[in-house]
Amino acid sequence: MLISTTNIDEIITAISAHVNDNAVLISVGEHTEIDIKEFVGALQQSGLEFMGGLFPRVIHGNTVLEKGIVINTLNNLETLFLVENISTKEYTIPEITFKENQPYSLFTYVDGLTSNISHYLSELYENYGMQTNYFGGGAGSLSLEQQPCVFCNKGIYQDAAVVAVMNMASNIGVRHGWKKVGGPFIVTKSEGNIIKEINWKNPFQVYKEVVEEHSGLIFTEDNFFDIAKGYPFGILKEDAECIVRDPLMTNENGELVCVGELEENMLVDILNGNNDSLIDAAQKAAEASVQKATAPRKAIIIDCISRILFLEDSFEQELNAITETIHGSYPDLSIGGALTLGEISSYGEGFLEFYNKTTVVGLFE
Amino acid sequence: MIKVENHILDILQLHEYGMAIGQSLDYRESCDLFIKLLLKRKNLNAAWILEKKDENYQSTYAIPLGQKTVVDADSVIQVTRDIEESTIVKRTDLISSISPLNLEEGMVAIFNLQDQGYLFLYSKKDNISEKDLAQLRPVIKKFSVNLKACKAFRQQQQLLHSLEIQNQELSDYAHMVSHDLKSPLRSIDTLTTWLQEDYASKLDESGNKQIISIRNSVEKMDTLISGILEYSTIGKTHIEAYPVDLNLLVKDILSLIEVPDHIAINTAILPTIIGDKYRLQQLFQNLIGNAVAYNDKPEGKIVVGAQEKGAFWEFYIQDNGKGIPDPYFKKIFKVFEKLETSETSTGIGLSIVKKIVEMYQGKIWLESEESVGTTFYFTLAKNSHGAT
Repeated sequence: MLISTTNIDEIITAISAHVNDNAVLISVGEHTEIDIKEFVGALQQSGLEFMGGLFPRVIHGNTVLEKGIVINTLNNLETLFLVENISTKEYTIPEITFKENQPYSLFTYVDGLTSNISHYLSELYENYGMQTNYFGGGAGSLSLEQQPCVFCNKGIYQDAAVVAVMNMASNIGVRHGWKKVGGPFIVTKSEGNIIKEINWKNPFQVYKEVVEEHSGLIFTEDNFFDIAKGYPFGILKEDAECIVRDPLMTNENGELVCVGELEENMLVDILNGNNDSLIDAAQKAAEASVQKATAPRKAIIIDCISRILFLEDSFEQELNAITETIHGSYPDLSIGGALTLGEISSYGEGFLEFYNKTTVVGLFE
Repeated sequence: MIKVENHILDILQLHEYGMAIGQSLDYRESCDLFIKLLLKRKNLNAAWILEKKDENYQSTYAIPLGQKTVVDADSVIQVTRDIEESTIVKRTDLISSISPLNLEEGMVAIFNLQDQGYLFLYSKKDNISEKDLAQLRPVIKKFSVNLKACKAFRQQQQLLHSLEIQNQELSDYAHMVSHDLKSPLRSIDTLTTWLQEDYASKLDESGNKQIISIRNSVEKMDTLISGILEYSTIGKTHIEAYPVDLNLLVKDILSLIEVPDHIAINTAILPTIIGDKYRLQQLFQNLIGNAVAYNDKPEGKIVVGAQEKGAFWEFYIQDNGKGIPDPYFKKIFKVFEKLETSETSTGIGLSIVKKIVEMYQGKIWLESEESVGTTFYFTLAKNSHGAT
């Protein structure tokens, strides 16, 4: 459900009426004209159980919005909790008793601009393993300035994650559609989200050589992101699409600053995509989730904000491809979601990963 | 035709796996670094290690964490009986029963880690191939060595910790014992002094001699306790090292000890070394003191000298005293071992000497001929500084 009003009392009333006694997942467009702290305060007073995040844009049906609040009911909630201090790794993942032979889905929004998100996801998988499906995304502002952006009944936080675990089946499709144009290369030196060396050489020089040759464009002092948004890195993975990492900028040492971490010695390709390959991949993600579903009650799309920056007006086609695929099988299914700073899921229910530039479609039963 | 690029990729993947091994000497961290990477790159769901413990096998690592599992050896042997290096099998109830995790349908790759047990890699899908096994075998052998090193390192750390505690306990014990023993000794000494002063006229000659004998024994006991305390503290306290001119040091010693007129002591030019003056003085004073004390010749001669031997200084203290019988050449350096019963000897002086020499990474030995004399040799490493 989409809420457009900016009157906080009306928003609370609308949410309460929609979810009844259930918990609620709230995705807020970052330009929504409300005081987010006041909104979270009102939610705390309302008696609702909730979790949510602030995103560059939100999705409702076929529409992408900078302003607006999209809500989804969290049926059969088992537990909802907050994880603080993601960057310092000083937290404990709470223990959950999963009933045998029952399907579970875990939904998480994490501050997409904090560090050590991969460690957080690794901790989640270590603790809950194969007992649940995982789904989620990175919250935050497109300005890339870190700020409080995830919230739950305890308040609104930055450098944190909120998690809901539901006794509910889910079917998830993950695709990105970026194809290799150069590589493989070895990240011979890195620190967090900064690539310091590729193949023992300056990373920008290696990257520049491949990208300029493929694109026919020349990097200048102020056009890095304009070109780089079409040439992400892909971390090689067997038997699945690679994991995409977005190069964001170069620093004063000619090192590449990315969204998401890269570990030393990992193998990467340089990727490129076009409208067709990306839209086709988004459709395949939707198909994968639809094929596995039996009786879904809602669809949630987590799509990377950088895909819209790359596709621009063609993003509408990507969203159409997803919604048409879902509605082709389930015409009345409500579709909501967010454009995020990084996406969370696992390929084939395997180890949990943090993606960039990827489309994740979840159908929840 | 197979693309050359695929070959390169296989090799580069080995590079990534290989580089994840040996980055830590912590067992859990080593497993995390390597096994999590395998799960991510090969899109697997879980992994665990079973290792033999007494009559059973227990899980020493699992990702996801799962329950700490102890399983009977028969079940593990049934699953792993014919695995020399590795194999792939379908998940069975038997395999589930030896897993700390709940497994659904799928495949399990099993690697024999030899002394480190067995590594199990699980995938819900049919995505582990014989080629994967062949690719991973050499890196998993390396991983197994890494695990062995982790355990050896942990044992070493535990041993060091235990030694530190024992050392401290021994040191505390020595202090406590010497304090507790010295207190009644002081009382005995005081009482016998009063007895001597107040009752000397009332006691006969034999009684007075016995009192003197008691006081001598008390003094010897006091020296012995001080010696034990000294011995137990050598090498356990922090020392400040600085240049010590051994010519001045020996000169000081000769002014401190009583050298009878019939004994001549010649000192060659000695070097200046970096060390702790107090311990060096103990070293030279004990050896020169012994040379003086056990000299039975009407014209006693003692020579102190040194020569440079590479990274060491070699010193000698030569006398023309009684000499030492061969069987005692090594025994005399042990605590409480002494050559003859003497009222003044505690049998601890040469043990202290040996311990000080060892602090300077040196050795001590002697050459001797009965009735002719003895030469004690010892070396001190130039760069040791007596630091512990």
